[in-house]
Amino acid sequence: MTHLTVEQLLALREPGVEPGDRAAREHLDVCDICRDEFDRLHQRVARLRALPTLQPARDRWPAVQARLVAERRALKLQRVRRIAFASLAAAASVALAVSVGGVRGTGPAAATTEISRAMERSRALEEAIDFYNPEARVLDGRTARVAQEIEDRIAVLDHELELLDVTPDASREARQLQLWRERVGLLDALVGVHVTRASNVGL
Amino acid sequence: MDSFPVANARSVVAQAKAGDPAGFEALYRAFESPVYNLCRRICRTTEDAEDVLQETFLEVCRSIGQYREDGSLWGWIRTIAASKALMRLRRNKYRDTDELYDEVVGKAREDHHLRMDLEAALERLPEVSRAVVWLHDVEGYTHEEIAGMMGKTTSFSKSQLARAHGRLRRWLGEERVA
Repeated sequence: MTHLTVEQLLALREPGVEPGDRAAREHLDVCDICRDEFDRLHQRVARLRALPTLQPARDRWPAVQARLVAERRALKLQRVRRIAFASLAAAASVALAVSVGGVRGTGPAAATTEISRAMERSRALEEAIDFYNPEARVLDGRTARVAQEIEDRIAVLDHELELLDVTPDASREARQLQLWRERVGLLDALVGVHVTRASNVGL
Repeated sequence: MDSFPVANARSVVAQAKAGDPAGFEALYRAFESPVYNLCRRICRTTEDAEDVLQETFLEVCRSIGQYREDGSLWGWIRTIAASKALMRLRRNKYRDTDELYDEVVGKAREDHHLRMDLEAALERLPEVSRAVVWLHDVEGYTHEEIAGMMGKTTSFSKSQLARAHGRLRRWLGEERVA
């Protein structure tokens, strides 16, 4: 008598009303040896399923979290750079309008110049951060938290700057200048965090 | 959320979808153990399994927005983990055929009189065979699904499973008495 192969026995375990081929099913009904083999196959699979659940030797969540934070930070910096570029272009057009339209007084012109300076400083600081390449570095928990707080505050400022861009207002330039100065201060702090690893930021 | 229930599953998923780190961590804590177990059963080393565990949860956190809540959360996470683990095998240039396995490992290891426990026997299987056994017999994937994840044919999956069971039977001292 030819007994069933492992392939045939496995096929008989596949889901379905009539698994495997008919001849194999009929053979299984009459052959004790193949029936025993089939039972052992069932038991082996049951034992495989009953193997203990293996546990990792160490907690990988901090590493996952650090990567997520780094990715989030990179996305934010990209966004900040885009906004800074757009705002710089807007300020340049304002300056052009002022120069073309004649000097309306020293106040607005001086404010525009100051805004441009703050933007330039802001961009230089972002380049410094890029050069430092924080995404490629491992940060301890405290540093990451402090950097995150600063970036969150920068994001809030950027949002305000975006709103100012679309809101005509007589006092807009003064407010823009204030926000850009705050932004420079925060970027300064962020550079400090990455360079000194949060030791002297004072947040 | 079937085999691995998460307390307040819906709110945890909602938190994660909103980008809340607490939601991400809750997902990690709930599924760390089954994901690692799956990775470890497929990967050769604990280091590889831990790396795949990390990659899996990075992907889960990045892609949670794509999870449709009418399906099983564990099923969704498990498929990510299985794909990552199989990718790791491919990256490590696993031994693709049993013939090569026999050649490399040597017939000497095919000791017919050797009896070992199931854990050791499973560990000793070639990587691909072990992955197929685990995905099919334990995780319940069909041959079609396994073939799809491995980029192979259904016949490949079936033959790997049959060969693996032949080996397990021998190593476990369960060979039939004709």
